[in-house]
Amino acid sequence: MESAVAAEPKFLASAREQQRRMVEEYYEGLAHAGGPKKPVAYMLVGGNLTEIVRSFGYEVVFPEIVALNCAIKHVSLPNILHAESQGYGLDVCSYVKNDLGLQELGGETPFGRIPPPDLLVCSFSGCYVYVKWWEALAEKYGCPLFMLDVPYMRDDRPQAEDLQYLVSQLNEFIALLEKTTGRSFDLAELRRVLAQSRRAEEGWVDYLDSGRRRPSPIEAYFEAVFYMFPINVLRGTEAAATFYASVNAEVLERIETGRFPVPEEKFRLVVEGVPPYPSYRTFWDFFRKWGAVSVAATYPKVGGLFDRGFLHDPARPLESIAEYSLGAYVNQAWPLRRKLIEEYVRDFSADAVLIHGIKSCRSFTAGQGDLRDWLIHDLGIPTLYLESDHEDPRYFAPAQVKNRMDAFFESLAPRRRTPPVSMGTA
Amino acid sequence: MTLLAVTGPEVGSLDAMVPLELSDDLREFARASSIEELTKLAREVVLDPSYPTVRAWTRGGRGAVGCFPVYTPQELVHAVGLLPVSLHGGGESVEISHADAALGSFLCSISKSTLELALTARLAPFRAFVFPYICDVSRNLEGIFSRLLPGAVTHMLHLPQNFQSPATVPFLTAEYRRLLAKLEKAGGDPYRPERLAASIELFNQQRARIAELTRTKRNEPGKLTLTESYLIRRLGALLPREVHIQLLDRVRTELGERPNRAKDSIRVLLIGPFCEQPTLDLIDLVEQVGCYIVDDELLQLHRWYDRIEPGDDPLSSLAAAYVESPVDIGVRAAPSRKGEAILRRVEAAQAQGVIFLTAKFCEPALEDVVLYRKALDRQGIPYLHLEFEERSTSYEQTRLQLETFVESILFD
Repeated sequence: MESAVAAEPKFLASAREQQRRMVEEYYEGLAHAGGPKKPVAYMLVGGNLTEIVRSFGYEVVFPEIVALNCAIKHVSLPNILHAESQGYGLDVCSYVKNDLGLQELGGETPFGRIPPPDLLVCSFSGCYVYVKWWEALAEKYGCPLFMLDVPYMRDDRPQAEDLQYLVSQLNEFIALLEKTTGRSFDLAELRRVLAQSRRAEEGWVDYLDSGRRRPSPIEAYFEAVFYMFPINVLRGTEAAATFYASVNAEVLERIETGRFPVPEEKFRLVVEGVPPYPSYRTFWDFFRKWGAVSVAATYPKVGGLFDRGFLHDPARPLESIAEYSLGAYVNQAWPLRRKLIEEYVRDFSADAVLIHGIKSCRSFTAGQGDLRDWLIHDLGIPTLYLESDHEDPRYFAPAQVKNRMDAFFESLAPRRRTPPVSMGTA
Repeated sequence: MTLLAVTGPEVGSLDAMVPLELSDDLREFARASSIEELTKLAREVVLDPSYPTVRAWTRGGRGAVGCFPVYTPQELVHAVGLLPVSLHGGGESVEISHADAALGSFLCSISKSTLELALTARLAPFRAFVFPYICDVSRNLEGIFSRLLPGAVTHMLHLPQNFQSPATVPFLTAEYRRLLAKLEKAGGDPYRPERLAASIELFNQQRARIAELTRTKRNEPGKLTLTESYLIRRLGALLPREVHIQLLDRVRTELGERPNRAKDSIRVLLIGPFCEQPTLDLIDLVEQVGCYIVDDELLQLHRWYDRIEPGDDPLSSLAAAYVESPVDIGVRAAPSRKGEAILRRVEAAQAQGVIFLTAKFCEPALEDVVLYRKALDRQGIPYLHLEFEERSTSYEQTRLQLETFVESILFD
């Protein structure tokens, strides 16, 4: 039964505070970046090359993350409307529209000014819109654009020809960076940075894995999104490497004290899809009031499937960066995505799957209807499909979403796949 | 469970029309004695969602491979003894009953109608399907086909987007080997370089003739309509190439004798419909209102490159031809700045204006339009942007927009 009033969502208190400071410091740093002293590279989250770029002294902007920060702070719509006034239609990705609108409006956000790029690095990993977006930025700013063409993952393991292609491109990228910065590539430094990345990745995987416990000590979708920032944006730094140790210490504390993300865990969900950032809190409330917790989710893997072994390895620097870039979640073919979701349901003892389709994101969304059909009819897993947008508040209809979720959870109780668990057990 | 619970077309819908039956040797195309007769036959073929040319070809046990737009190295399919056929959706003939559920709301018509054709068994004559990575929808469609049509061979072809790297051609060559392995699973013959070299030569002949046709349309636009040019080209990836080449030779001869019926029309570049195709009514309409379409992005397959020299390693030559192609459309990372590219094309075609005809939800086309428009605005070149869907039926508003566009140029 749903609870009348949703309690405040629980975060890992000190980790959340630490994450908040990291975000603030990052944007503070960006506000002073740009130009020859501290050049700025724009990069995409999927398959990003942050370790290499940072080793050449670049500050890195991730416009997708800027976009989601805008949305969660309810300032995305003016940027989107401005982009639409420039000719970007209703059907264009709203991350793109937020960014291009923001760029045209001067780059000011409530969390700091976003500097223009000196270099555009397109890690074409899992989303074709990346190419179009970066072309538009290149047209506007006239700065160099490097295209890292990441082959689509269609097999269980990376193929030799794909890795060879990627490593060649990485060497060409390094040559470009040497030319543009006048610096020499420092392999030892890259190895050092990759070792830090690996520490962060292993900590992140430990955090995600704790969702297997019953009750789950983590909220693997709504809460995990906050802890994605260091793994995607600050990977390779000491701050990111130590961050997950703090996170996991608090997760352990939750287990020991029995303080879990929902007071009583009634439903365990696997969530597929990007969150509706403009209505993030509202959407989360719709879960919590039913005692529903996400125990695994695909969205936190957009930066890389670290939990499936796509980890950086200082002993094989470029090879492991190549492997990592293949492992962005949306760079996986549907058979691989289906298999992953099936394994999450099994390994994390989930009762159901919730799919959140994004109106303007074809990469994630095209085929989610088929996924629902497969989950329900082939695997017998209760599944709910909802649709709104990750960035554009005009497409989130709270009453409709709530009605559908209420109906789903009401009908789920007698069909749950796992017996209810008493709180305080692990 | 799969969605392969096939239902037939609804009575009274366009789907219910009687399928066109053609002879095994497709002699109907040889018999068509004029461009008018040929385009009439082509229109019937294009509007028939049951792929009559493929049904005729495969009747004797031969195999066909469906290739989703925009580019598949069809020479390769031909070289292993299979018929490469371009899939251009269901057009205006197909009602979407099943595909919406699998694909979701905000996707282009061509993805839905192609899946609908599969789910209603109208792609049954095909043994395999190739989906090139031209956009996220095409890419994902392969994963859906692979589940819903377990009996067919499917392949997602990763077309590279890095056109600067020396590693790209070797990668694409390896990618073509993956495709060959799939084609072999679909009953294709084992790969032999000499057969690919022969196929490349054959396709060279076809492309040269199509290039001549498009040059005629550009230089003497009153000689043939856009609809005629389009339908003749469209047959190029529906028929065996040998049949199409003969047909193109007859068209060339007839065009040589046709007068260039010059009208008071404006020269226009048609940009955007490189994947999903507008209805034939809409293609007709664009010229009816007073435009000569002197260059277009319809059916890009035939113009990725001119002539390929097969060389010692034809597979690698084929890959190099794709990578080195000058084609600059929305589904290929720009080798140059978009704004400069559109201005060059306007100049080359001596066009007086541009019509952007983009498929609803086609993100690659929609995003390019903004960059193109900015460049055209700077140069004061007029343009019009129209969106279309496969099952559009009413064009009153579109006609009005087109007429206003033409008049604004004619009376400027």
